[in-house]
Amino acid sequence: MTLLGEFALWISLPVALWGMVLGFAGGRTQRGDLVLSAERSIYAVFGLLAIASAGIVAAFLGDRFEYWYVANYANRELELFYKITGLWAGQRGSLLFWALLLGFFSSIAVFTNRKKNREFMPYVAAVLQTVLAFFIVVLLFAEVNPFQRLDFTPANGRGLNPQLQNYWMVIHPPTLYLGFTSFTIPFAFAVSALLAGRLDARWIQLTRRWILTSWLFLSIGIVMGMRWAYLELGWGGYWFWDPVENASLLPWLTATAFLHSIQIQENRGMLKVWNMSLVLLTFLLTLFATFLTRAGLIESVHSFAENITIAMIFLGFMGAVLAASVVLILYRLPQLQSENQIESFVSRESAFLFNNLMLVGAAFSVMFGTMFPLISEAITGTEISVGPAFFQRVNFPIGLVLLALVGIGPVIAWRRATRKNLQRNFATPVVMGLVVAAALWSSGARHALALTTWGIGAFVLTIIVTEFWKGTRARARIEGEGYVLALFHLVTRNRRRWGGYIVHVGMVMLFMAFAGAAYNVDERFFMEPGDVVEVASPMGHTYELRHDGLSVNLANGQRNLLWQAIVTVSVSKDGEPQGLLTTEKRQYTTQDAGSPPMTEVGVKSYPLEDLYLILSELEDLPAAVSADSDAQGLYLQVLVKPLVGWIWFGCLILAAGTVVALWPSADRQRRASADSVEPAAEPAVVAD
Amino acid sequence: MTLYVGVALVAAAVLLFIMQPVVRGLHASLEREDDELTETEARKRVALLALRDVEYDFLAGKLDEQDYRSLKSELTAEALAALEADEAARASDGASSDPDVEEEIARIRDGLRSGVVCDDCGFTNEKGSRFCSACGHALADRVAR
Repeated sequence: MTLLGEFALWISLPVALWGMVLGFAGGRTQRGDLVLSAERSIYAVFGLLAIASAGIVAAFLGDRFEYWYVANYANRELELFYKITGLWAGQRGSLLFWALLLGFFSSIAVFTNRKKNREFMPYVAAVLQTVLAFFIVVLLFAEVNPFQRLDFTPANGRGLNPQLQNYWMVIHPPTLYLGFTSFTIPFAFAVSALLAGRLDARWIQLTRRWILTSWLFLSIGIVMGMRWAYLELGWGGYWFWDPVENASLLPWLTATAFLHSIQIQENRGMLKVWNMSLVLLTFLLTLFATFLTRAGLIESVHSFAENITIAMIFLGFMGAVLAASVVLILYRLPQLQSENQIESFVSRESAFLFNNLMLVGAAFSVMFGTMFPLISEAITGTEISVGPAFFQRVNFPIGLVLLALVGIGPVIAWRRATRKNLQRNFATPVVMGLVVAAALWSSGARHALALTTWGIGAFVLTIIVTEFWKGTRARARIEGEGYVLALFHLVTRNRRRWGGYIVHVGMVMLFMAFAGAAYNVDERFFMEPGDVVEVASPMGHTYELRHDGLSVNLANGQRNLLWQAIVTVSVSKDGEPQGLLTTEKRQYTTQDAGSPPMTEVGVKSYPLEDLYLILSELEDLPAAVSADSDAQGLYLQVLVKPLVGWIWFGCLILAAGTVVALWPSADRQRRASADSVEPAAEPAVVAD
Repeated sequence: MTLYVGVALVAAAVLLFIMQPVVRGLHASLEREDDELTETEARKRVALLALRDVEYDFLAGKLDEQDYRSLKSELTAEALAALEADEAARASDGASSDPDVEEEIARIRDGLRSGVVCDDCGFTNEKGSRFCSACGHALADRVAR
């Protein structure tokens, strides 16, 4: 099976190249047979990549350690579940998995458009095959072939990094890959629109769902990564402005900008060049994210030398995509003129524009900070990285402006807002924001940035709630419906608008949660069994923690564990017992000799804060792991993290809002092709 | 041996699948759907959308009456100009356009020109409006629809 998979991977390359050539040729000559062959080649490549992936999974399941990839990411003791997910545990397999997902989405795109939008499809197929061929070339020729064999067969593999043996780590990368790969489809349609000269908003309407889906996967993927870092890395945070984290944030920022700016094109016929540029840029950034993670360019100079081939192939491809994009846009520039102009600085159009500038500005600052080590090395010869402080200083103000725009955008008038329009819509929300900030101030909160964030958050929430209220009231009055029914109809008649508002609520929650970090409590105690410590939380609660004993299991290699030290802590909050929490140190057999033991944290979540325990150090480690039951002293790190739970909850709201916006409306299906006016643009109340 | 048979089978199946259209002359349709907006159509669409949005903003209470009226009369003028430009473009193309569409355009244009007076508050609405933009009162031709 594994050998068959290897052959399938080799066969897929000529098939992809065939499809690429025939797609372009078919589009150029308008020959339907060539195009059909190109489209079929996409299904074929997907099938071949599926066989190749099955081959890798079979190698994992069969403990085939003669394969470099299996030997480095598994061992005999690894649980079945992690053997299957071994396909994307390491860089080589995940590149194959990436190509597989791209093949899957490409097949869906070709299949769903087999009877419609035919004029786009030759070039769409060609572009998709180009990207697929690129990834297959990387897999086969960039020293990352997952089918590469060792000269000998080791008795056992090195095992999977224990930190990766976590539920979130299993679903986080594929979710991100889903986001990254699915963005190739809008890119392909955009290029096809440019090549075919079909430059109205049609390509945007065709790919709106792809873009939203991709954005949803990216958002969830990023938050899952935060959750993994929070639960598994044992340092108490969820975001470190690490290059790999930043790499996933970059396309998210530009995709978010794109989601907003297409509304201007659809409603006002402006920003055509900008939208094209954004979709091309976002695709480039998904490549850049892969490149950054795969080539190991930033983390260490050594891996750059090792992966020079992959770095060069990626740089070459990104350069080619960029050059082709610029040429295509310049070529079509005359047909991409705006149908309107912005009339006033104080208007919804300019709020959208400002939103875009902020998002793209944030993307560039994050990119600059991430690349800074390389830039500084090129200029001064020494690699200097900018710490989280840089990213925070730049992005906090940008974030706050964006947050405020979330509130301003929906209610400021199109074209130009008058003073009365501003007063009418902003007076109450501004007062609300100030009241919340003042209330928090008087209750003792003094952190300026956090207060500003919460104040703006309250301002935005007031606006969104008012929007829902006004819309529902207007509909209830006009249609004579009850309020609940009116609200339901309001949302279902214009899912894009109201789904978007729900997403905004999720974003506000995320921002408010981030601001909570200003009030993190972090204390460290030495504790013997029976010792009780008290920690006061910023929300005014007092936690009492008692060391109930340390138990050390000498696993001697079972489940790859050498030993495991678990401390049990009984928790009470304001005198009320809250049960037990455990936190652990673990030493794995698969860790490199001399590396420190890993930490498992204990977390108790409340709506407004998390109690987060870290077993930071054993007083006498050698005694503890040689079964000396007297060695019970330890250092316990106690963190109280306000509002962290809102991140996960906010992400759920965001996902729910996106699904509302994505859901096909009965209304839309009924009118299907008859009406080219997209539902979002219609005022929900008067449309029907 | 089995391996090579398997590889050969997969390769043959793929080859057959992707070559068949070219060899047997199976064609995928490449017909352009006739739904592309001309430039004048796009402008018309944008102008009408802007009108609808102003209606919504007013109904939802985001615009006061004075702003609404000034924006609306301006947008109505623009929409009219766009409609006429589009019609002129069609006429000069000599395209025999869809009678339904023609009728729709005529209706909208008449509506923009003449308007329907609300019998509740006296506000002049576009013809074809089902509800009064000023007071939300149902207009007479709702029944007719």
